[in-house]
Amino acid sequence: MTLPVVVIGLSHKTAPVEVRERFASGSEILPEILARITARAEIDEAMFLSTCNRVEVIGLPKLAGTHEEATRLASHAIREALREHIGAHSVEELREYLYERTGEDAVRHVFRVAASLDSMVLGEPQILGQVKDAYDAAVAAGALRSHLSRCVGRAFSVAKRVRTETQLGTGTVSISSVAVDLAKRIFGDLGDRTVLLVGAGEMAEAAAKSLGQQARSIRICNRSFERAANLASHFNATAAPIEQLESELVMSDVVVASTSSKSFVITRDLVKRVMKQRKGRTLFFVDIAVPRNVDPAIHEHIDNAYVYDVDDLQSEVAENMRSRQAEVAQAEKIVEAELGAWLQWARGLNVNPTIVALRAKTRGVLVAELERSLGSRLKHLGDADRAALSQMIESATNKLLHSPTTRLKQAAGASEGDDLVRAAQHLFDLPSAPTPEPSSPSVSTAPAPESEERLPH
Amino acid sequence: MNETVAEGLFYLTAAAYVAASVLFLRFLARGKGDVGLLGPRLIGVGASLHAVHIVVASLVLRVCPVEGIHFPMSVASMSMAVAYVLARKRLKIEVAGAFIAPLALTSLLASRFVGNAEPSARMKGAILPFHVATNLFGVALFTLAFSAATLYLIQEHLLKKKRIDGVFRRLPPLDVLDRAEHRFLLAGFPLLTIGIITGTLWARRVEMGSSSEVLRSIFGYVTWVVIAAVLFLRAAAGWRGRRAAYGTIAGFGFAVVVMMLYLLRTPSQGTVTASLDRAAPPVASPSVVAAAPSVTASPERGGHEMRP
Repeated sequence: MTLPVVVIGLSHKTAPVEVRERFASGSEILPEILARITARAEIDEAMFLSTCNRVEVIGLPKLAGTHEEATRLASHAIREALREHIGAHSVEELREYLYERTGEDAVRHVFRVAASLDSMVLGEPQILGQVKDAYDAAVAAGALRSHLSRCVGRAFSVAKRVRTETQLGTGTVSISSVAVDLAKRIFGDLGDRTVLLVGAGEMAEAAAKSLGQQARSIRICNRSFERAANLASHFNATAAPIEQLESELVMSDVVVASTSSKSFVITRDLVKRVMKQRKGRTLFFVDIAVPRNVDPAIHEHIDNAYVYDVDDLQSEVAENMRSRQAEVAQAEKIVEAELGAWLQWARGLNVNPTIVALRAKTRGVLVAELERSLGSRLKHLGDADRAALSQMIESATNKLLHSPTTRLKQAAGASEGDDLVRAAQHLFDLPSAPTPEPSSPSVSTAPAPESEERLPH
Repeated sequence: MNETVAEGLFYLTAAAYVAASVLFLRFLARGKGDVGLLGPRLIGVGASLHAVHIVVASLVLRVCPVEGIHFPMSVASMSMAVAYVLARKRLKIEVAGAFIAPLALTSLLASRFVGNAEPSARMKGAILPFHVATNLFGVALFTLAFSAATLYLIQEHLLKKKRIDGVFRRLPPLDVLDRAEHRFLLAGFPLLTIGIITGTLWARRVEMGSSSEVLRSIFGYVTWVVIAAVLFLRAAAGWRGRRAAYGTIAGFGFAVVVMMLYLLRTPSQGTVTASLDRAAPPVASPSVVAAAPSVTASPERGGHEMRP
């Protein structure tokens, strides 16, 4: 049996946005939530992860009886904490939205989430930062201290491996990010470029969010000047009436068109005139309107002017998604390999206390016998002889326990590990050690105690 | 011993350029490797070894590095590599190393097999070495402009065809290439102009010999006119991007023609008589790009043949 990690949560796969938003929490209330979860007697360690598409509690139960029993109690406690968090009447209300993973599945889930294999947009990079933020908050709140901390830390390594050893994170996979990416491929740095939004609807707003963060300035040109001015006030932009479109085009570098016009708003003749005034400086049009706002002939016939419509961008998105999907199998292999290493380490936690107890008992018996002899029949021995006898006891302990220790460690990763541990405890009358060793809530927040056996790698 | 050192440096330089070429081409073809850091460093190491090689070899042979054919070619390629290393970060054109490394390697190897290391005549006076040196540095900068222009045309073609993955992502941004090309041209143009002026001054002192020398002069002037036109039209009429790239490539092409005419000149022109020492005008040496003034002096003007 490995560590009884429990994950309970909801994501874009199990709950609609109106449910997810009830659970979502800002970083400012994380300490309070974590305190509420760890205050429960059933939970030893916990982390609370809240993103746009996911809210999860990752917990490590306090040991009480069997692992199964501890897991069941912890699961109930986490569900109760979530119920309290959103003020629901009963946990039954939440049942249809929540998923639960335990033990090995829970650790695999944590690894997959950090590696962005469970994200809505496969391979998106933000999730790792969000998991790190949740981890930092939990460590700071004292909710992550030992084994669970090590588990999440391991998830970071998995994510890093997936990112560097596969192409899962390459290519951009949203229309706005493809547009930004393309603009960068044309202009390099957008910090000295001006973005012009033609149209002031929702799509213009989305474009302003993604492009506006990186551009030097944003200008908004719309049939309704009032609407343009309204949007401009949100993004520190400059509004202009549609009559000034030509002069606005002259001073802009990236143009995002998204009006509801049924005909071309930006024609080939207009851009010809504009390019003369711009002295040939590059002009990039992103036409996200349907029907299109920018005459596609501009792209074909005018030098230094490029027009990409929504289909061009969408095909790039689809291509990038296909590339990412092709990398999933490789990424899953990494997750499984890392999970195997983790399980090996975690199972070792079960045998270590027994090995330590066995050594202590063996050595204790031998030392006690030696002391007795040194106090009677062998009391004439000098210091050098006594030291030699002590050394002999150490060597005898090591040699005697070498095979049992090796076999117990080997069995730790296999199914018979628990049987051997129990047999050793029974044969040598050793105390049954709890696994994992519960750590005191008052101990330091250091994520990984030095006494622990090191993970492979 | 010194010959062995020069030889060793030559091979080390070639090895550095080969390694950089392989790295850059692998990146362009497969998108693998970190060319942003290692590639330019390898070219930098190559350029440093190259410079030391030129110094050691010229000391061993007691030849000024701008004399003959062997050394000027070597100096031109080394200057190009140095200019790339100095400019690549500021202009963000690291990937242009995909051109620079193979070009530097080719020039280095060509310098080995074209002409002799030792010139059969010495340059006299100050104008000619100055003329050759400015032309060499000009060629180095025009090669960089040519590299940027070629990469620009590739990028522009991919963008117009809407093939925006693969190679498109590995090359520098379009405007960055356009700007780099313009700056290299701007930097090289004054050197070319000085080369033209010194070449013309020199040409006045001697008479034109073979038709290839006349052609060389003509192509030198054409190179200057083309580059000047590219720069002027960009500033005055907004000829940027594709047109400027074509103009830059054309200008570089004329410069290459001048160089080829110089390298492929007939052996009969390569003799220097014993009367050199009495010559009033200094002996001509290779004029690489611009109006090539190094011609055969007529017997009437001094009675001695000049080495081109």
